[in-house]
Amino acid sequence: MQRVKNSLPCISVLVFVAAVSCSCLAAEEKVTDTAEAKSAAMPGKHFAIFDKYCLECHDELTEKGEVNLEDLSFTISENIQSAESWQKILNALNSGEMPPEDEKQLTNAEKTEFLDDLSNQMVMARSILSDSGGEITLRRLNRREYANTLEELLGVEPDVSSLPDDQASSEFDTMGASLFFSSDQLEGYLETARRAVELSLKPPGTGGSKKKEPEISRIEPEDFYNPHYLALASNLLDRAQRVYSWRLDGKGDEGAKKFGFLDGWQAGRQLNSFDKNYPQVAKYLAAPENKTGAALMVTIKDGFTQIKLPQVMWNQEGKHTIRVRAGAYEDDPNRFHYLEFSRRDGQNAERLGWRKVTGSLRKPEIIEFEIDHPPGKNLAYWVQKRTHEDRGDKNLWTVYREENGYGTPWGIWVDWAEIEMAAATPNPAAGEILFEKPEGMKDSDYYQSVIKKFAGRAFRGAEVDPEFLEKLYARFNALRSEGDNPNAALTQTLAIVLSSPSFLYFAESVEGAGNTLTDRELAVRLSYFLWSSPPDGKLLALAKEGKLSDPEVLKEQTDRLLSSPKADHFVRGFVYQWLDMHRLGMFSFAGRQFPDFDNAVRDSAREEIYETVHHAMREQLPLQTLLKSDFVVVNDVLADYYGLNKVKGHEFRRVEVPKGSPRGGLLGTVAVAAMGSDGVRSSPVERGAWVLRHLINNPPPPAPPNVPQLSRLEDEILSARELQKAHQEQPQCAQCHLKIDPIGYGMENFDASGRWRDIEVVITGKKKAIRTEFPVEPAGKLSDGTEFDSYLALRDVVADRTEDFAMGLTEALIAYGLGRPFGFSDQELAHQMVEKTAEEGYSIPQIIHSLVQSKTFQSR
Amino acid sequence: MKSNLTRRAVLRSSSATIALPFLESFGFRRFASAAEAVAPPKRMIWLGMGFGVTADKWFPERDDTGADYKFPSVLKPLEKHRKDLSFVQNLMHQYSQDGHSGSTFWLTGANRYAIPGQSFHNTISVDQLAAETLGKDTRFTSIQLCAKGAGSDGHGPGLSLAWNRRGKPVSGLDTPVAAFHRLFSDESTPLEERQARLNEQRSVLDTVMSDAKSVGKKISKSDNDKLDEYFQSVREIEVRLSKEEQWLDVEKKTPQNPVKEPGESLEGYEEMGVMADLMVAAMQVDATRVFTYRMPVDSMISSLGAEMSAHTMSHYSHGERRDVSEMRDIHNAKFLTAFIDKMKDSREADGSSLFDNTTVTMGTNLFSVHTLKNCPTLVTGGGSGFTLGRHIHADNKTPLCNLWLFQLKGSGIEADSFGDSTGTLEELSIA
Repeated sequence: MQRVKNSLPCISVLVFVAAVSCSCLAAEEKVTDTAEAKSAAMPGKHFAIFDKYCLECHDELTEKGEVNLEDLSFTISENIQSAESWQKILNALNSGEMPPEDEKQLTNAEKTEFLDDLSNQMVMARSILSDSGGEITLRRLNRREYANTLEELLGVEPDVSSLPDDQASSEFDTMGASLFFSSDQLEGYLETARRAVELSLKPPGTGGSKKKEPEISRIEPEDFYNPHYLALASNLLDRAQRVYSWRLDGKGDEGAKKFGFLDGWQAGRQLNSFDKNYPQVAKYLAAPENKTGAALMVTIKDGFTQIKLPQVMWNQEGKHTIRVRAGAYEDDPNRFHYLEFSRRDGQNAERLGWRKVTGSLRKPEIIEFEIDHPPGKNLAYWVQKRTHEDRGDKNLWTVYREENGYGTPWGIWVDWAEIEMAAATPNPAAGEILFEKPEGMKDSDYYQSVIKKFAGRAFRGAEVDPEFLEKLYARFNALRSEGDNPNAALTQTLAIVLSSPSFLYFAESVEGAGNTLTDRELAVRLSYFLWSSPPDGKLLALAKEGKLSDPEVLKEQTDRLLSSPKADHFVRGFVYQWLDMHRLGMFSFAGRQFPDFDNAVRDSAREEIYETVHHAMREQLPLQTLLKSDFVVVNDVLADYYGLNKVKGHEFRRVEVPKGSPRGGLLGTVAVAAMGSDGVRSSPVERGAWVLRHLINNPPPPAPPNVPQLSRLEDEILSARELQKAHQEQPQCAQCHLKIDPIGYGMENFDASGRWRDIEVVITGKKKAIRTEFPVEPAGKLSDGTEFDSYLALRDVVADRTEDFAMGLTEALIAYGLGRPFGFSDQELAHQMVEKTAEEGYSIPQIIHSLVQSKTFQSR
Repeated sequence: MKSNLTRRAVLRSSSATIALPFLESFGFRRFASAAEAVAPPKRMIWLGMGFGVTADKWFPERDDTGADYKFPSVLKPLEKHRKDLSFVQNLMHQYSQDGHSGSTFWLTGANRYAIPGQSFHNTISVDQLAAETLGKDTRFTSIQLCAKGAGSDGHGPGLSLAWNRRGKPVSGLDTPVAAFHRLFSDESTPLEERQARLNEQRSVLDTVMSDAKSVGKKISKSDNDKLDEYFQSVREIEVRLSKEEQWLDVEKKTPQNPVKEPGESLEGYEEMGVMADLMVAAMQVDATRVFTYRMPVDSMISSLGAEMSAHTMSHYSHGERRDVSEMRDIHNAKFLTAFIDKMKDSREADGSSLFDNTTVTMGTNLFSVHTLKNCPTLVTGGGSGFTLGRHIHADNKTPLCNLWLFQLKGSGIEADSFGDSTGTLEELSIA
């Protein structure tokens, strides 16, 4: 409707501009018109920019470079061509390519205003043009859902590492259009399913290594470490002795060889190494407690004292228990009093958790740690002290050694560690697949009904095509006649079921009334929304009776699903993507710079976000609680980090924070601060953009490509705040960064690792570290002019925008729950949902209810 | 014992006395007996670097074009091959907008927004188009190599560098071990058993297809468009099975210098070297003629001792990050140098070298930070007749697809255009 291209070439530019303004005015009068809401247009006033700077070359007559701006529609979203033309204009301005260097240039103010409008309208136009009009593309199980579904059916966690990780491909991994399918993937599904079915159906504890009774293997660490460190000590002493002999002998390269060194240079270095390493080893060997146990010492050359428990084999699945008898060195800092539990498969280590040792050397305690060993994997379980990533622990050892003369504080002494292997128990899921054979039933009939029943469950209650079943039976029989035993033949057959479209896709039938989902389809959509898993028997039964679409029943079921432990799949899957949490794993934090920010803190920081959302949902808290609260949801590791006392135990729980504490609300979490950094310095840009995107629902356009790089400030040492000022020098940057950066200033009191600071310390210098200090200046303002002078004031300003936050969350939930990008056609629904839940303060369960109850959710 | 003499055993023993044709392809075998010498096949390889390069160091100086340009110092190791490679500067994809995707559109040049109602669209990549012709007579139509965890390497969406005819991602082999087994490990199972297994796979496909058809009947037309991806995948496997059947009785060849099974734990720079060895070996036995390699960045720099992520390195190139960035460039150059050395050392039947008949392009869609213009492009190998030994500066807005088109044509593939090409780079190539 805003098409302004005129058909008469002789009409003057003036008239053209008038036409544009007119149509804009007309548009403004009826903003409520939905058709209007569905277009993205450049305000007509910007034609003046074209007129002033561009038309000399790019008018209808000249059309330099085949670009004619005179005839360009100002409605960017009119069609793909129009969007492309405007994209080119945007690119040309951003890269500084246009206007050409020797031509008149836009003033900074003009450029900023033009780019601000264009980049924002461009985002809207792309969104309009890619709007599927409410249509939900047929979607398949994403990798998370596929894994959960297999686990439900088979009782075995499948190894899905050969399948593509769908989280990388779009905003949410539930979006059908972005969930591709390839031939390799089909083969991957077949192979993954085969392996999982095989493990599911295998008899428990096969392989002969597992007994009926619990079995305990205990490790006495001194058995290994005493000879190990004794050897290290004598090696160091021997070398030192040889160096002294070499010195007495008169030094020199030849002499060095005589004493077993490569050359004089190598010999010369030995004493240094002796001085560094010997004191700690000597201390270790002299410590009486190490006669009967082992202190958790860190060495640079010979690794860490860590206890490796006997490997648990692929067929020893089950809930086993690790026990460690340990005592803490009470004088060492708190952080060193935690045991880290992990398991390793070759190179890959998976951290399982931390337990604080509260016993002392004189009164050690026994710590229990339960593990759930998956079938199909040989894994070794390890116990050690808290770790840093990469070389962090080794680098820190050097720092500590300079301080205390020996190295990293030992923290904990371990008397022994053991693993108790639980007795083998049958897999209930296997029992359900191979149900008890009714007496008198023929073998062939039995296996046919096993296959049929499994297919019915795998297809989530949908009818199984008879021809497909016949082919499955034929497959099974063929394999049997080739000599496969029943389990092997069944494994192959069921793997086919788990690779067929009825299993992999959410096929929603066109039969039925209008676009409305059948009750069964609704059950499927609901359970994958809130559980990322298939509907259970109860949900399917209600659907079968036709009761699920009854609003009351639906509400009840939604509540039931939300209160189930399986809702954790939703919280993790949704929140991770909604809040862009992949950034938390993107950067390495150097141990030397952030000694306290170790793996325990980083992993716990991620959990804190999930646990906080869980808590808010469970307690039906107003949404504002996520922006500002007088409590945090933490475990002991994080409570230490936040300086909160009296938190004992590894469970996450609600803990009140002192008045005036910066903690409480997402903005004050370690996770958000760390995500808004690059692992070294805080980034006001990342933090500001994150707040705009995820908290106040005013996302900035994506960073434009091809903007000329700023290098002027490269060699200057500046505060994070000062660095951002460079953004204001170029209009291409300024237009967005004026909105983004000031919010980030308000969070400058958190360093890259989320610790509170009043002074920003910048470390530079290659060989010798140079410290430069800047006082933090947190004052700033939002783009609407609201000012804040401190972090706490910023938090209040953000908390005042709870409605915007609710809108952002609502849009994200619609996209995630329906499996397609939030489109313009969804705006009305979003507004209704937000309005409806305003009274209860937009609690998350309320928003979910209002989505589930909507017609959109119940339609194809 | 005599009864054990199978057809394959005869073949094997005869190779000891009679020089079997070095190449195992059908095409070659078909003509091997003909009197005239057969020209060695054309091969094409693309090496994708993900996050770009050190902005002001990687290319020669802009105006320093021609044959006597000053070689970039961060690529020093490559200088010994300067007569055999060309830098092409100033190529770009006009539609690329995403400042974190170095590989998604690198070989396609597509416009992700081209289709109304969709937020992501891609088209066939140049390697897959080439493979349709070059891959006809080899055991593998093409081979895609990748690195694990490449999600944070600046490659962008995709499973490898390759995209199929429908613009869907093609997956790749992400460890040297996987590549080794696909290419070289010989089946110990007897022929009949392998034939039986192929039949079994067909029957599995037949079974899932019957379900697919019944689903297709129930769902809407647009959902059927999506389900078509499934049908297409089944068809692709069927084609592959037919090809496998064709090759069933042909033993996998052992290359001139037999390759050992690589270790499981190889990572980063070392892994790249092994992948290069595997490509050379695969070319020696003509297992395939088209390769793409989506190279590691994050694990590469970390294997060289960097303590930062690839993303960190790519974004703020100054100080230590800049050092790491340059170290990455140097090692990519070292990797390519060794690769070229090996291709030059490997003789074809007619006395030429692998290098003479192969086109290798190392590059990425991302120049540096978020810059998508001036895609880093380094062409080497004599396969498509591109002029080597030059630093070429293309006119503004020259599509990268012009280079792809040139390479396709130069490798004997009929094509009038590719992506948004406006011509070939012929004029540049002769310059």
